[in-house]
Amino acid sequence: MLAFVSRRVLQSVVVLFVMSLIVFSMINLVGDPVDMLVNPESLPDEIERVRRDFGLDQPAYVQYWKFLTGALSGDLGNSFVFGRPALALIFERFPATLELATFALILAVIIGLPLGIYAGLNPSGWGTRIIMGSSILGISIPTFWLGLMMIIVFSVLLGWLPVSGRGEIGYFLGIKSSIFTLDGLRHLIMPATNLALFKIAMVIRLTRAGTEEVMRLDFIKFARARGLSPRRIIRFHLLPNILIPIITVLAIEFGTLIAFATVTESIFAWPGLGKLVIDAIINLDRPIVVAYLLFVVTLFLILNLVVDIIYAALDPRVRLGGSEK
Amino acid sequence: MIEKEGTSDKSLLTFFYLKVLFANLSNPMAFFSVILLTLIVGCAIFAPFIAPTDPYDLSVVSILDGRLAPGEEMFDGTIAWMGTDGAGRDVLSAIIYGLRTSLIVAISSALIALSIGIFIGLIAAFYGGKVDSFLMRIVDIQLSFPAILVALVLLALLGKGVDKVIIALVVVQWAVYARTVRAAATVERHKEYIEAASCLGLSNSRIIWKHLLPNSISPLIVLATLQTAHSISIEATLSFLGVGVPITEPSLGSLISNGFDFILSGAYWITFFPGVMLLATVASINILGDQIRTILNPRFTE
Repeated sequence: MLAFVSRRVLQSVVVLFVMSLIVFSMINLVGDPVDMLVNPESLPDEIERVRRDFGLDQPAYVQYWKFLTGALSGDLGNSFVFGRPALALIFERFPATLELATFALILAVIIGLPLGIYAGLNPSGWGTRIIMGSSILGISIPTFWLGLMMIIVFSVLLGWLPVSGRGEIGYFLGIKSSIFTLDGLRHLIMPATNLALFKIAMVIRLTRAGTEEVMRLDFIKFARARGLSPRRIIRFHLLPNILIPIITVLAIEFGTLIAFATVTESIFAWPGLGKLVIDAIINLDRPIVVAYLLFVVTLFLILNLVVDIIYAALDPRVRLGGSEK
Repeated sequence: MIEKEGTSDKSLLTFFYLKVLFANLSNPMAFFSVILLTLIVGCAIFAPFIAPTDPYDLSVVSILDGRLAPGEEMFDGTIAWMGTDGAGRDVLSAIIYGLRTSLIVAISSALIALSIGIFIGLIAAFYGGKVDSFLMRIVDIQLSFPAILVALVLLALLGKGVDKVIIALVVVQWAVYARTVRAAATVERHKEYIEAASCLGLSNSRIIWKHLLPNSISPLIVLATLQTAHSISIEATLSFLGVGVPITEPSLGSLISNGFDFILSGAYWITFFPGVMLLATVASINILGDQIRTILNPRFTE
């Protein structure tokens, strides 16, 4: 187990290193960064001075070394737009994104799971047809377009929900979040639903497939033969067996929620990480883009590492390198 | 989304299309989706003949026609069935042309990614060992990042443009194909006909391309269908975010993005109709893919 974990950690470090190399070289290959720093009308000697001040006249490997040592000590440069350390901005915005993604994940489970179980238990009913039909729609519907339609219906036509922002932020047990105030919840519900929709459809499909498979097995037949109520069978015999794969998939999907939050955040002007990076891309604010990239890569590597370690703990074949047979 | 497909016999491959067609006739939803898809592709191909006006022709577009509601008459007498946008372009015509850009991007990126994926997958399966684990490691790492994120970051570095969006979509998709081809080809690799072929002294490349390839690509039929729908969606999302295709060559995504500025003032049609078209395209491809999968999977046909 220790060998497996250390191998995977080492691999993650290598990936991170390669990523930093790719990011660094792409940024330096695409255009001269000096062009972005100086006024286009500045004189040649002025440009030279800026180039020297920022260390851009040195060979690439020296620049990369500086970038790498800076990154390791948490210094990824200052944002061109905000004039503040890029990494600090990332950490400042991250809680809002985390809140949105977590709320969306909870929605996906509490809506998707019951519908999926219902569809799995009544494979040919009309309800199932409607649920499965809408789940295809949910997978096909472009998230961003649905967000716009939600704004048109709930904000412009009905005037029920606010269009943008995070609303009032409450404190509870030392955690800052919009969930704890009514105004915050009103702001949160639309973006979170928008973000969750794809995952709801996915949870429905996974749960239905799992339910159909488990309900055929012998232990369910025995439970029925013992005269247990359907409610009890679902609660104690079906759920524990279908939940494990669903939870694992959702753990991995949590990362994609954070990635997709960029879209939802830019529609609803949610002040999170995604909004920050989209604005940075449009404003050519490279330090932010680089910091975001390295932050997200690290986040994903940690997430995957945790999932892999859980897998390895559960399944010895993974630990022994089962893929290399 | 990605599920295991049953490996099937090559002789069945030609039979699939007949079966798909037959099953479609009995399932109204799938039948409808095929008709819809045919219409959509037809519109995209024959865009200049179908569109009421040419949205690229600046001499025709008039600012006086700006933000007309659906069904109103434009300055030159044409009726704008889906309204006009802020610059006075007919939304219906823009959609028909936008569909073209969306489909070109999605299909060409799918074809390039498919070729790269097949190549890498077959090499990995045929040579096995170190080559296999190295290539599949790259695939694993690539797939551990969400497609939208990879594409977004790539475009942030590369800049805008149709060619750049295609590059980003290829980077995002090749690994999915490579993994699937590799899985199918690994099974085929150890069968007797491959052994027989190498005993006959055929060269490796001949075995890979003439024997391994035809027997390993059937699982890709469904995957490629669903992936194309997925990449239409991704392209639209990227263009909506402002990092995809430039506004001079609008796709459905950039049309929706263009209408974003008007929704608070009530001009819903500029975003609504392109979105409906996008949804119709993606949904009909997805339903078709689902249908093919159901037919190919023996577990469902019994």
